[in-house]
Amino acid sequence: MLKLHNLSKVYRTDEVETVALDNVNIEIESGEFVAIMGPSGCGKSTLLNIIGMLDTPSGGDYVFMGENVAGYPESKLSNIRKQNIGFIFQSFNLIDELTVEENIELALLYHNIPSSVRRERVAKVMDKVGIAHRAKHMPSQLSGGQQQRVAVARAVVGDQAMILADEPTGNLDSAHGQEVMEMLQALNAEGTTIVMVTHSPAHADYARRTINLFDGHVVTENLRAAV
Amino acid sequence: MFSNYVKIAFRNLIRNKLFSFINIIGLAIGLAACALILLFVRDEFGWDDHWERAEDIYRLETTLQHPVSTDRLSPYAPDPMKDILLDSVPEVEAVTRYMEGGMSIMRDGAVMLQEGLLADPNFFEFFDFEFLAGDPDTAFNSMNSVVISERSALSLYGDQAALGRTVTIRIGGEFRDFTVSAVITDPVVDTHIDHDFILPFNREYFVGSRWFTEDWRFLYRNVFVKFAPGTNVDSVRAALPGLVEQHRPKPEDEAGQENARTVILHLVALTDAHLYSHASTSDPDVLMGFVGLAALILLIAVANFLNLSMARTSNRAREVAMRKVVGASRKQIVEQFLGEATALALIAMTVAFVLVEVSLPYYNEFLSAVVAFDFFAGPGIAVGGLMLVITVGLVAGSFQATYFALLKPRDVLYSNMSSDHSTGRLRSVLVVAQFTISIALMVGAFFVNKQTNFARTLDLGFNPENLIVVAGTNSDQSNALKTRLLASDHIVSVGRSSDVPTRGSEDRLTMRQLGTEELVTLDGLPTDADFFSVFEIPLIAGRYLTDTEADYLRQRAGDGEYRERANIVVNKSGAELLGFKDPAAAIGQTVPTNLTATQYLEATIVGVVDDFHFDSARDVIRPGIYYLDERRLAEMTVRLSRFNREAAIADLEAVWRDMFPDQVLFYSYMGDLVEEQYQTEDQLSTALMAFTLLAVTISCLGLYGLASFAVDRRTKEIGIRRVLGASFTDVAVMLIWQFSKPIVIALLVALPIAVYMVNDWLSGFAYRIDMEAAPFVMVALTAVAIGWATVAGHAFKVARANPVKALRYE
Repeated sequence: MLKLHNLSKVYRTDEVETVALDNVNIEIESGEFVAIMGPSGCGKSTLLNIIGMLDTPSGGDYVFMGENVAGYPESKLSNIRKQNIGFIFQSFNLIDELTVEENIELALLYHNIPSSVRRERVAKVMDKVGIAHRAKHMPSQLSGGQQQRVAVARAVVGDQAMILADEPTGNLDSAHGQEVMEMLQALNAEGTTIVMVTHSPAHADYARRTINLFDGHVVTENLRAAV
Repeated sequence: MFSNYVKIAFRNLIRNKLFSFINIIGLAIGLAACALILLFVRDEFGWDDHWERAEDIYRLETTLQHPVSTDRLSPYAPDPMKDILLDSVPEVEAVTRYMEGGMSIMRDGAVMLQEGLLADPNFFEFFDFEFLAGDPDTAFNSMNSVVISERSALSLYGDQAALGRTVTIRIGGEFRDFTVSAVITDPVVDTHIDHDFILPFNREYFVGSRWFTEDWRFLYRNVFVKFAPGTNVDSVRAALPGLVEQHRPKPEDEAGQENARTVILHLVALTDAHLYSHASTSDPDVLMGFVGLAALILLIAVANFLNLSMARTSNRAREVAMRKVVGASRKQIVEQFLGEATALALIAMTVAFVLVEVSLPYYNEFLSAVVAFDFFAGPGIAVGGLMLVITVGLVAGSFQATYFALLKPRDVLYSNMSSDHSTGRLRSVLVVAQFTISIALMVGAFFVNKQTNFARTLDLGFNPENLIVVAGTNSDQSNALKTRLLASDHIVSVGRSSDVPTRGSEDRLTMRQLGTEELVTLDGLPTDADFFSVFEIPLIAGRYLTDTEADYLRQRAGDGEYRERANIVVNKSGAELLGFKDPAAAIGQTVPTNLTATQYLEATIVGVVDDFHFDSARDVIRPGIYYLDERRLAEMTVRLSRFNREAAIADLEAVWRDMFPDQVLFYSYMGDLVEEQYQTEDQLSTALMAFTLLAVTISCLGLYGLASFAVDRRTKEIGIRRVLGASFTDVAVMLIWQFSKPIVIALLVALPIAVYMVNDWLSGFAYRIDMEAAPFVMVALTAVAIGWATVAGHAFKVARANPVKALRYE
């Protein structure tokens, strides 16, 4: 699916230079479920953003589905992103002014899909994550777990091949956290590649492989036996 | 996609109700104010443009110049110019002339005054009046025809047909019968050609009238010239002096030549006559000033709109970031926000329409105008207005759109950082600009108002209370009228003069200065012996003129010749100009005087009166000389008993009816004449105040919106400050200072500009107020106070809020 080769990311402000990622080499196969762990500030989110093409690397190669996208301009990245990648955030990032249904539909708006097809697919994915009865509600009327389910629905409604989840359970209690993890596991079982940043070892256990980051380096990669 | 944009734009509007309201209403008020001003100005510039081929029609006007007196400006032209133009200028297609004036109409034994025109036969070919009855070709078939206007027909005959009826009109001192040959629509409000009835001009009416001869000395008729389309009128203008030189008869003797005035002719476009002619009734500079005001208000409103739109960007950052994450391109983001801002501007425009429609009747009443809001009538306003509003929308939207197009989703989705920094500075600049304009307007409005009030309280030098001026009293029976009026218990005194204060005088006399050969010019005024006592103009040396032989320059009886020596009175400025060290020194002195270039007078000063305003109170009081000339006393001024003015007027009316049954009594209150002088300035001053108030309101709306916004955004920061020990007062002061800062900067920018502009404006007044510091301090304090009042509510609310709540929210 993707391959990072000697990838680095340096942030520069006027006086300080911060190395967020340093010579990172990672390969992720199609259909994998990978967890990225590490202490705060180790570069987890930066890595995820680069994989998700929300950020660009300072050096090295990023080969995504056979294409080296490291030097691509924003417009091209945006196009690849919208075809292939879905996002789930810790803080849900639902749009307050849109209903559940409309928030999910947003992910299809930029795909040139007729509205009847859009509605059908949104209905389907809402059923799948068990939020259909809340279709007309506003995000503020939902619990945290429900909001994250909407976010998951939004991430997958476009049939994305890969989901990037940044601490998807960070704002949820354990019951709701587990619910979301089970949902991700089910998606993975259907063939969706999942890359997840998490602090929770228990939730990392849902993944087949864990990458540990420390100060911008990959320190260990643990492969779990298939469950 | 589009419906999604609309949905989210609409929900954003609803969600931030106050904010949206402020944003839309601010722009709407600005647009409406701007529209009201521009509609009025357009109307003022559009006088008489409704005539067919108005652009080819010009009025011939005249300036009479004389070496020692002021220029006489007349909207009329010498009669012979009609034939001269037709003969000498091939581009001239037609010339038409008319005399205008109030004329008496007799109906059922009662006399009423109406506006009548005596017009050339081609008048209805020249101007395309709309005929309700009758026919333009036959309207003037007979010299006894009269064409009346609709309102006249209504007042004379009610609902009945007017055609063929007889109208009795007084012309040349006698009543004559005319037959209604046609009825035309009433004159529109913005035209110079005002008429109740139009008669064919007939020379016979004026046979024997000394003042009416078809020669170059008298200017009594409007002369309109129609040129062939595309004529270079400037080259015709250049030829006018040559035509005057060639055709105007030369005086035969040397004295006559010396006395002759130079005739200068002007061609004024018909559509310019309202603003740029010798009879202009409006000041184009003031109109341009108001156009400037409109531009400033629009600027404030647009700045406000921009500012509030930008302030909202931080609210929408998450939405935009998410849109980008799911694949929105920059172009799509730009489209969304440009569209949204434009839609908002269009909503504001719709609201502005309603505001204009609602306020128009009051506005028209205030300006005594008939401004119409015909948005859909011509493409001009519609296209212009739409373009303006769309531009405003696009400009406002482009700031947001650019900002969002460049926004990096990760900055928003992963951080608590406020995404507001990049627009903060520009927003501050806009607030400063808004308040700079508002403050400058406040200062301007204050001084305009103060100067206007000052002019009102100016001592006129005479007492206008309880005075009425009766016009048309220059007949042989006028002295008898005076005597009969004085017999009334309710009339205190009666004086006569050729003109009355506020109207100015046209006489200019040259007199020899004391001990030199120098000639100086004084304004002359023919009066009777009672003029000064009626107007209560105080004497400061000598005596008033009396009804005695030696005091008369010319008497009604006799051969009409001026005497060679007479006693006269001068005013204080006159005595000074003549070189007397004090008024008393002038008494008994004889000064060689030129009444005209051919008329010499030994004038002995018997009295000096205090200075009084004879022209507009705006003008400096000029040196004046006053003499008894019984043949030129057209105005009779009557001082009524202040205890019973109604009875005095009733007595006047009774005496008039008895003495002049077939003439209309026409009188005006001196107080009204004085008031009229201030009316335009009062209107301007009030309009300026009103529009300034609007500008300040818009600015405050903006500041209020920004404050509510900033406070929302700073909730967390303020929570932290409170936790760290900041008191309620600390926080409130900090917030209030944040919003006072732009006002203070605006004051520093605006005040020097305002000082300069106000000083410049005031320097145009002979009698003006001084510029003091106090009003500036007052405006400054007001501005800061307004600013504080606007933001105080927010500041206190957030300062008092529980900090824990604010922090937990994050």
